[in-house]
Amino acid sequence: MFRYKTFNRQKAMVIFVCVLFMMTFLMGRLVYLMVFCSEYYGQKAEDLHERERDIKAARGKIIDATGVVLAANKTVCTISVIHNQISDPEAVIAALTKELGIAEEKVRARVEKVSSIERIKSNVDKETGERIRAYGLSGVKVDEDYKRYYPYDTLASKVLGFTGGDNQGIVGLEVKYDEYMQGTNGKILTLTDARGVEIENAGESRLDPIDGNDLHISLDYNIQMYAEQAAGKALAQKQADSVSIIVMNPSNGELMAMVNVPEFNLNDPFTLNYEPQQAVTEEEKQNLLNNMWRNQCINDTYEPGSTFKIITTTAALEEGVVSLSDQFFCPGYITVEDRRIHCHKRTGHGAEDFVHGIMNSCNPVFIDVGLRVGPKRFYDYFESLGLLKKTGIDLPGEAATIMHSKENIGLVELATMSFGQSFQITPIQLVTTVSSIINGGRRITPHFGVAVKDGDGNTVKEFTYGAQEGIVSTETSEKVRFLLGQVVSEGGGKNAKIAGYEIGGKTATSQTLPRSANKYISSFLGFAPASDPKVMVLVIINNPQGVYYGGTIAAPVAKEIFEDILPYLDIPFDEEAAKENEVR
Amino acid sequence: MAQKTKKSGGGKKKIKYFDYTLLFIIIFLVGFGLVMLYSTSSYNAQLKMNDSAYYLKKQLFASILGFCGMFVMARTNYHFWLNLSWLAYLGSLGLCVAVIFKGTNLNGSTRWLKIGPLSFQPSEMAKISVILFLSALISLSAKRVRELATVFKLLMVIAPVVIIVAMSNLSTAIIILGISICLIFVASPKYLQFFLMGGLVAAFGAIYIFAERYRADRLLVWLHPEDFEKGYQTLQGLYAIGSGGLFGKGLGESMQKLGFLPEAQNDMIFSIICEELGLFGAICVILLFLLMIWRFLVIANNAPDLSGALIVVGIMAHIAIQVILNIAVVTNSIPNTGVTLPFISYGGTSVAILLTEMGLALSVSRGIRLEMV
Repeated sequence: MFRYKTFNRQKAMVIFVCVLFMMTFLMGRLVYLMVFCSEYYGQKAEDLHERERDIKAARGKIIDATGVVLAANKTVCTISVIHNQISDPEAVIAALTKELGIAEEKVRARVEKVSSIERIKSNVDKETGERIRAYGLSGVKVDEDYKRYYPYDTLASKVLGFTGGDNQGIVGLEVKYDEYMQGTNGKILTLTDARGVEIENAGESRLDPIDGNDLHISLDYNIQMYAEQAAGKALAQKQADSVSIIVMNPSNGELMAMVNVPEFNLNDPFTLNYEPQQAVTEEEKQNLLNNMWRNQCINDTYEPGSTFKIITTTAALEEGVVSLSDQFFCPGYITVEDRRIHCHKRTGHGAEDFVHGIMNSCNPVFIDVGLRVGPKRFYDYFESLGLLKKTGIDLPGEAATIMHSKENIGLVELATMSFGQSFQITPIQLVTTVSSIINGGRRITPHFGVAVKDGDGNTVKEFTYGAQEGIVSTETSEKVRFLLGQVVSEGGGKNAKIAGYEIGGKTATSQTLPRSANKYISSFLGFAPASDPKVMVLVIINNPQGVYYGGTIAAPVAKEIFEDILPYLDIPFDEEAAKENEVR
Repeated sequence: MAQKTKKSGGGKKKIKYFDYTLLFIIIFLVGFGLVMLYSTSSYNAQLKMNDSAYYLKKQLFASILGFCGMFVMARTNYHFWLNLSWLAYLGSLGLCVAVIFKGTNLNGSTRWLKIGPLSFQPSEMAKISVILFLSALISLSAKRVRELATVFKLLMVIAPVVIIVAMSNLSTAIIILGISICLIFVASPKYLQFFLMGGLVAAFGAIYIFAERYRADRLLVWLHPEDFEKGYQTLQGLYAIGSGGLFGKGLGESMQKLGFLPEAQNDMIFSIICEELGLFGAICVILLFLLMIWRFLVIANNAPDLSGALIVVGIMAHIAIQVILNIAVVTNSIPNTGVTLPFISYGGTSVAILLTEMGLALSVSRGIRLEMV
């Protein structure tokens, strides 16, 4: 047996020293990793472990002028299952099948699927969500979420617009004021394991959502309701394609109602509001939906027809080329260059002064007046009255005026333009321009948005709208008001007359293009009181069947609306005038 | 160091020595290993085996078996085992051959033999057999160890087991080779030939690495673990280490063990120790191993004879190589090789045989005789 010698001990010591040296190096390496790189690796690890979950912010409400909520939020629930946390799958399947009304096989497939989280159903109403939560089943998650909700379904559908899946505005005011109503989503940061399963008791950091602000608009629920009822009635009676009504305050441009019947259900915007004639493809359906969502008052243009004679009158009065007492003679037609343009009354109105010319809506009179103004100056009035620009309404997709270029306006074009043909404007453009003429010459900006307020009613932002003063003189403005008052009290607009109220207005009947189709648009533009306008109403009936004269079918609709809203708006009622009328 | 006094015939007090410090370190490491193993593996165990204590139970069983082995070893004279070492060597050689043909495939490598309900890793047994066999051989030819020829002869003797183990488990083969070289190094009075040998091994290693593409790739993965898919495990280990900081997240609070670091209870368990116990805990573990190695040095240097000393030197080399390689891999100080951390990493065969090995060291320590003055 050999002894262990000193050199053996030395060598064992050498090994130990080597080990000591290497272990010291490793400890140094650990210090480097765990002290100097700790932040870097720690952060990377945290990024790996954290999962972000959004908490949706409530979208701001849309509130009308009287405080009625037109667009609100509904709490809905999303039901999902976490496979690994389910302890009693059969109970889960039974409960979910019962409460959600989904086929059992579907629920079973999702419950038994091995995934980190499986969504069973979203947009489940709150009560159902509460009931499911009450079962206390492990592995079933009920997450609350907001969904846009419109309490009045179809009311002002094309004005309000609706929101998409992420609560973002898609059309109408919802998209225009999206930035104000869109809140800031909150966040929940949770720790999860590698499969994405949340770790219990890990503590979560939470960033609370900031709810969106409320939009207050000038639209008045009651006026909108009256107007929609009147429009709906006219649509049904006249079997028209559509009926549009605008109710606006002519002095400041606040829109009180904007109707385009048929409206659609805002709570179900992706379903057509009629049965398509034949089966449609997805793409065709999308086009039909886009058409259904159109706001004809601002997205579409039309030939205004005789209502445009208000503008011709204004131009002529401003130019001083006509006075109210000027005499005219209407033989039933007028010849401009080589063209013979007929009056709507083929037999002619005979001798008449200018006041009767507008009361009769006599085309030759207005052609004569228009020619007196002349093409260049007529065009200049078009421009200075603001007809060439968009109105700047706070709704998306406003259509521009379709107009001859200045050089192309010959006498024939001028003649047709004087009674509202051969160019196209939007209904809102007509309302805005006429408002600006009769309100004393102040070009206003039509709008809905009034203010943005937070949930506690504190004003966040008040909207101001530009106005251009002096586009016509106050004298001209007064004369136009008088003339239009005459049209309603004794002229072509007498079907809109209400005893006790002084109403001004103008009727129009325009033929749509192509003329051969024999389709008409009848319209009536009226305001009250005639001497101091507080409210303006434009009624447009698109393609009515049977009688299509604006004075016959559109004026009564306006009258019906006036009868409802004038008392509502506290417009002075002259009892004596009303009695006098009865006696007569 | 506890001492046991015993009266002997001559009236002279002889002190029977037993290294209780080493025993304490062993018990502590095994206990600590079980705690860390449970902390690390419970998530995976719950997920895969539906029993969060699955790995813990298996490891506990192996540890108990190992403690029995340790008790038997510590109680018997190590010369008895030295005489039987050739049998152990041949036996483990046979088992290593058997594993090539009849082994069970786990995690993509064939390293296990199934014996009834137990699976057994023969390469672990090869380590202790080589330590015993080589110690016996060297002490027989102690005088001739200074000759280079003897060194080569000795190396040739263990060559078969190294080659056979290398076929299935390269890192274990390297450990066996390392242990052998340490043993011969300590036995031989020379230095120079070992430096030459070291240089030669390094040169061959370099050629070996660059000769095959996938090993060269491994080097790249080592240098830039972020850029390679194969660097995933290394990177996740670094995330765990880095997020530990000075005092760690607390026992059981590791995030990386929740599936981010695959098979965290195996080779990478040290990174979870770092994450949960911080730099403080990690350095404590290293110091504990260093203390253990220091005890081996003390036992070896006081051993009654060369064979006993060599056994303990072999055990010391075994523990030191594995600890250093494992921690170096975990800290990405060297390219990834699958070496487990003794007593702590999951592995039944490993812990049972390690404990038996410790019994041998304790048995040698019992041979130390101190004379009381």
